[in-house]
Amino acid sequence: VLSGNSDTASCLQQSIRHHARYSLGKEWRGLSHQEIFTAAALAVRDGLVDRMLETEERYSKRDPKRLYYLSIEFLIGRSLTNNLCNLGMLDAWRQALSALGLDPRDIEESERDAALGNGGLGRLAACFLESLATLDMPGYGYGINYEYGLFRQEIDNGYQTEKPDNWLESGTPWEIERLDDACVIPVYGRIEHAVDRRGNYNPMWMDWKVLIGVPRDMPIVGYGGRTVNILRLYAARSSRDFDMQIFNEGDYIRAVEQKMASETVSRVLYPSDSVAAGQELRLVQEYFLVACAIRDIVKGYGKTHDSFREFPSKVAIQLNDTHPTLAVAELMRILVDEKDLPWEEAWEISRATLAYTNHTLMPEALEKWPASLFEYVLPRHLQIIYEINRRFLEQVAVAFPSDGERLRRMSIIEEGDRKQIRMAHLAIVGSHSVNGVSRIHTELVKKSLVPDFHQLWPERFNNKTNGVTQRRWLLAANPALARLISDTIGSGWITDGDALRALEAHCDDEGFHKEFRAVKRSNKERLAAVIKDTTRQTVDPDSLFDVQAKRIHGYKRQLLNVVRIIHEYFRLRDNAEQPAVARTCIFAGKAAPGYWMAKQIIKLINSVGRVVNTDPIIKGRIKVVFIPDYRVTLAETIVPAADLSEQVSTAGTEASGTGNMKFAMNGALTIGTLDGANIEIRDDVGAENVFIFGLTTEEIQQMRAQGSYRPREYYDRDPYLKQVIDSLDSDVFSPQEPGLFGWISGMLLDSGDEHFHLADLPAYIAMQERAAAEFRTTAIWTRKAILNVARIGRFSSDRTIRQYAREVWNIESV
Amino acid sequence: MEMATEKTGDVTVVVLLGEQLDAGNAKDFKRDIAALLEPRGKVVFDLARLQFVDSSGLGAILSCLRQLNAGGGDLKLCGMSKPVRALFELVRMHKIFDIYGTQEEAVRAFGQ
Repeated sequence: VLSGNSDTASCLQQSIRHHARYSLGKEWRGLSHQEIFTAAALAVRDGLVDRMLETEERYSKRDPKRLYYLSIEFLIGRSLTNNLCNLGMLDAWRQALSALGLDPRDIEESERDAALGNGGLGRLAACFLESLATLDMPGYGYGINYEYGLFRQEIDNGYQTEKPDNWLESGTPWEIERLDDACVIPVYGRIEHAVDRRGNYNPMWMDWKVLIGVPRDMPIVGYGGRTVNILRLYAARSSRDFDMQIFNEGDYIRAVEQKMASETVSRVLYPSDSVAAGQELRLVQEYFLVACAIRDIVKGYGKTHDSFREFPSKVAIQLNDTHPTLAVAELMRILVDEKDLPWEEAWEISRATLAYTNHTLMPEALEKWPASLFEYVLPRHLQIIYEINRRFLEQVAVAFPSDGERLRRMSIIEEGDRKQIRMAHLAIVGSHSVNGVSRIHTELVKKSLVPDFHQLWPERFNNKTNGVTQRRWLLAANPALARLISDTIGSGWITDGDALRALEAHCDDEGFHKEFRAVKRSNKERLAAVIKDTTRQTVDPDSLFDVQAKRIHGYKRQLLNVVRIIHEYFRLRDNAEQPAVARTCIFAGKAAPGYWMAKQIIKLINSVGRVVNTDPIIKGRIKVVFIPDYRVTLAETIVPAADLSEQVSTAGTEASGTGNMKFAMNGALTIGTLDGANIEIRDDVGAENVFIFGLTTEEIQQMRAQGSYRPREYYDRDPYLKQVIDSLDSDVFSPQEPGLFGWISGMLLDSGDEHFHLADLPAYIAMQERAAAEFRTTAIWTRKAILNVARIGRFSSDRTIRQYAREVWNIESV
Repeated sequence: MEMATEKTGDVTVVVLLGEQLDAGNAKDFKRDIAALLEPRGKVVFDLARLQFVDSSGLGAILSCLRQLNAGGGDLKLCGMSKPVRALFELVRMHKIFDIYGTQEEAVRAFGQ
């Protein structure tokens, strides 16, 4: 169906009708939009499957080195539009649907997001897979087929409430179940210490329970459609003879409960920040992913290779953060226990195969698991980790003689009342490459997070600044801007981000300015309609759309933004000042369900909005809206409509950020701190085209070390600031719930605010005033916006993947 | 678990006729096999028909080996299918058993 050209639309139309009848078993008449979506997705999938099989054949002929990307999250979002876009079939699709008397948008919007991730880490994984396919590189994703994705967020009286996201309720047409590749995964049990036939120590893993991992393949098509790679997602099933003993003993209910417990393993995605250390199910989940993936990778390799000598030259495994770190122990277990390789040889192979990406600097986010839990869930793996650690510490002792303190710091096992396994240490010891995700982040990993490891193995550390795919985040999400760019400089930018540079030649072209602004204006109208629909608020598309869309978290400092809004509000209200521009402050993002402070911030945003938006003195010069249920699909509407992109994390806390790249790619100007990839964006797009403010990482580190941050000094010095903080103590924004926000002033002034809000606030206010003034000068603002788009090419995930391919994975386009 | 037993010289060959040995039948298997595990017994288990063994099944086979070894006898295995072999490897039990491709090879090994 997809091989035609002029006939593509009619072939597609026929195929959709065919699937409606023979896959859904229904008459065309009376089908719901959801059903038509399913039929359409199946029609598109047919074409993907053909190309997937062709791709595999091409790979098989060459037997190239393959990359396997292990990630506990893949935040895919919708797939239909992107698949059509990458197959070059969007026009045919629109024609086909029109011929069927349907609006393609209605059908596209019937698709539910695959929300198998919390935020940046999962979306990065999805962008990477798309880039690998576009670059014709053999790269596969391995993840979990969660039955429930990240919760759906609703706002009730200004508070976040969470609703389950049962995205697989009516199935997904994109996945192909592979029962023939199901695998047996043992878990729990005990070690029986025995000797083998030669008299050597032979620990045996006995009395385990069984999980069955059933893979489902999601085709990932690259731009142009030449390559279709696979994202393999595993669902946990109980074994076919689930607890037969219990069943035979007549306890049917207990047997069914056991079956349900097995299947719970892949039931729900853990919201970030709520993974309390020691949660058994989460550890089983991480192990389940790793065990299924490694077993599958080894099986695939074994089909064409007799020995493991070549394994590292045919297989690269990337660990996306510490969640899949058990891969180190699992690969060693397979090589030593099952394949009988000597420990030293197995270790060499394993280390040459594995590489680890660090995503966070916050010590509390670095995973640790109690050794006692490990012993209970994975007794054999714990033995292997102890042996890895023993050999590693011997190496450290040789490199740094008589340095017991260093051994204690570097050990994979944290000693104490409660022994813990440090997963980041295991990942570093077990990998040949350790990378951070932006320049500054990598430097901080080396200097602050794990300096001992960097001192021992400096060659192991490297930087791979994150990127985003311009196919989803510009071509598909912002078709009007994509068309304008292609009409102006050609379409090379779609697969070559650097080609966007050619837009620089048009940054002073009045005609181009006009068209560029018209695109932004229509995107803002589209977002205004969504805001109206979801919040009942009317916003003015001519106002400055000032957007902060990301997870709600202390370090991301949504609070800084809100405090500034209150500050501006009081100035307008009390002094009858006119703002430089009318501003619509748009927030979106989810708070982890157990993160009280983040949920309070959502309530604060909504409460401030309620007061500001209805104050007759303000007359709409400031509007504050919180758009509920931030997800990939919503981001695709928000990002193209933004004028100003808020990236205001405390310096030294955001590893990279990728929202910052998406916004700039769509012509929003960044207002941000010198943190994560903001620094590199500034370097590339030009300091004059972004609004950078605030303390540097070094300044914050110094203030921390010296204890010199005294927020009360800022409070006492600035009467406006005092008024803002006092208002949180009063009930201005919480008339119905007195004292609701009192905790905020206490936190900001007296409780050691670890995010330095007041230290950065004056500079932030000043920079916002400058941004507003510049927004009024349309030509200057438009020029800057164009230059942001023109110079953002380096932040394409294609560039990131090329770097990984060359410097870490050693894979090539096939 | 149904079993067929035959004697080849002083070696007892036990053919396991079921497809799975697991928590559902491991207990019965241990009871039924007990009579064949005599002191100084030479026993071969032919596992060719077996497709799945869980940890209870593996435990049952291991206890047979232990019992025979304790009385000066031995147990050898043969005819393992790929999935069963994989499960033995998973728990490192392949290192403590003598495993052969065919019955003949296993029986012959007792004479060497």
